[in-house]
Amino acid sequence: MRVSTPLKVSLFLTLVMGMVATATTVVPMSIEGLTAASTHVVEGVPLQTWSQWNPQHTLILTYTKFQVQRALKGQAPAMVMVKQLGGIVGTTVQKVAGVRRLEPGERAVLFLRPGDVNDGTLVITGLMQGNFSVRTAQNGTQIVTNGMPDVSAYSVSTGEVTSYQGNHLRLDELESRVHKAVQQ
Amino acid sequence: MKALRVMSFAIPIILAALLMIVVRPVYPFVPEATGTGPNAYTVDAWPAGAQPINWLINPTRSSAITGSTSVTTVIQAAFATWTTAPDTNLSVISSPGTSTITDAKNVPNGTNLVCFVCTGVDFSASDGTLALTTTFSNGSGVISQADIYFNPSPKSLCFVTDAQSGGCPTQGDSAQDLQTVATHEIGHFFGLDHSGVVRAIMFPFAPSLLTTLSYDDLAGISTSYPSPAPVVPIGKITGTVNMAPNGSPVFAAHVFGNSTTASNPFAAFNNIRKTPIGTLTLPNGSFTISGVPADSYMVMAEPLDGPVDNTAVEWGLPAKTPTFNQQIQTNFTTRWH
Repeated sequence: MRVSTPLKVSLFLTLVMGMVATATTVVPMSIEGLTAASTHVVEGVPLQTWSQWNPQHTLILTYTKFQVQRALKGQAPAMVMVKQLGGIVGTTVQKVAGVRRLEPGERAVLFLRPGDVNDGTLVITGLMQGNFSVRTAQNGTQIVTNGMPDVSAYSVSTGEVTSYQGNHLRLDELESRVHKAVQQ
Repeated sequence: MKALRVMSFAIPIILAALLMIVVRPVYPFVPEATGTGPNAYTVDAWPAGAQPINWLINPTRSSAITGSTSVTTVIQAAFATWTTAPDTNLSVISSPGTSTITDAKNVPNGTNLVCFVCTGVDFSASDGTLALTTTFSNGSGVISQADIYFNPSPKSLCFVTDAQSGGCPTQGDSAQDLQTVATHEIGHFFGLDHSGVVRAIMFPFAPSLLTTLSYDDLAGISTSYPSPAPVVPIGKITGTVNMAPNGSPVFAAHVFGNSTTASNPFAAFNNIRKTPIGTLTLPNGSFTISGVPADSYMVMAEPLDGPVDNTAVEWGLPAKTPTFNQQIQTNFTTRWH
């Protein structure tokens, strides 16, 4: 079914305002919302990743050295340390549904913010929502997605299922929207 | 018992756009899983010896919670939705102990905590995260701990403990039913990953109020915790997805069975809704859709490319799966079979 642009916008706003994502439970965020909620937006490549217990031996944390190639928001050093909840240490596996791990060598655009602890690390804004993988399409276009390229919603009252196109876009589009959001 | 219509097939993959059939995407339940071999995995689940599963609650409410029903009652109801599911052998203690823990870092190993005011998991008011569940398991997928944390201060939203309570104290905020979020998180607590069935409680995006299970949720929980005496007989649909023309196997395709009849084998259960049921293919292209009640089914395969994609399903993170360490395939289109 083709949907007109005004209808798409209306549908998008209706869905975003009317539903909750449970990915782990998150509210779908726009590029602009992610930018506003982040202190840093950076493009680059994970170099190294490892997991370890916290000092209390109660949580497993995964750290990633992320080489920054471009900073779209904030003054980022050449290397930032990204911290994610969960990981594998020995035979113990801690899983957090919806948390997408960074893979060394796989380009990404990350929306980052400080976490609870002031330890120099940054956490990804909105869990997987602020983690965009970058890939090159067959025609050479750089595409980014945060794993939520399309979203469907179910209306309990009507039984209707609707969907809209989400955060699956060209890299230059994402950069443009981040820059505009920073300027506002 | 009416025989299942079992379909075993190979899917020819034709990239010509003219042959694409656009359909509404639906995907199957997917358990959290741990690989045990080249084409084998074990479902992450609590061991039978751990049941009834003990859990604790810090009943302290955050300022984001409103409503007259106690949070303990809400969480008990959410647990009961799963533990009373038909064909399922699963139990938790009905009256939880209380805890004063307010920091995830202080949760002792082996403690299963539900907390509404906890720090330590990097919640932010403005990043859209409402709750998260974390599970601990061993290399064999045996769960030993699960903790559920609700964001104490989500922006522009409140949790309501009574579906009929009316709205948020702050005008303009969105009301989110607490039991809806809790029911989804408890699915993770028991070892389920996200589903792509839009009507499933384990679908990554839920409506503001939905507290019942779908056939897909039921298939997941009854497969992980099967009853020795199922009230509704269930079976399996098996087959293989291959790529034409060379017949190479397709890994991590979403395959699901969709009933072609008006039959509703679980009609006697008010909290179960009819939906498709399915699974993912293994590296050798094989699949087994479990938890399927007797009926006639249309079986369909779709690429793992949205709305649930390789980043949303633990199996497919992000290009290689931790379970099978193999690239998933999405280079084919949806077709009816």
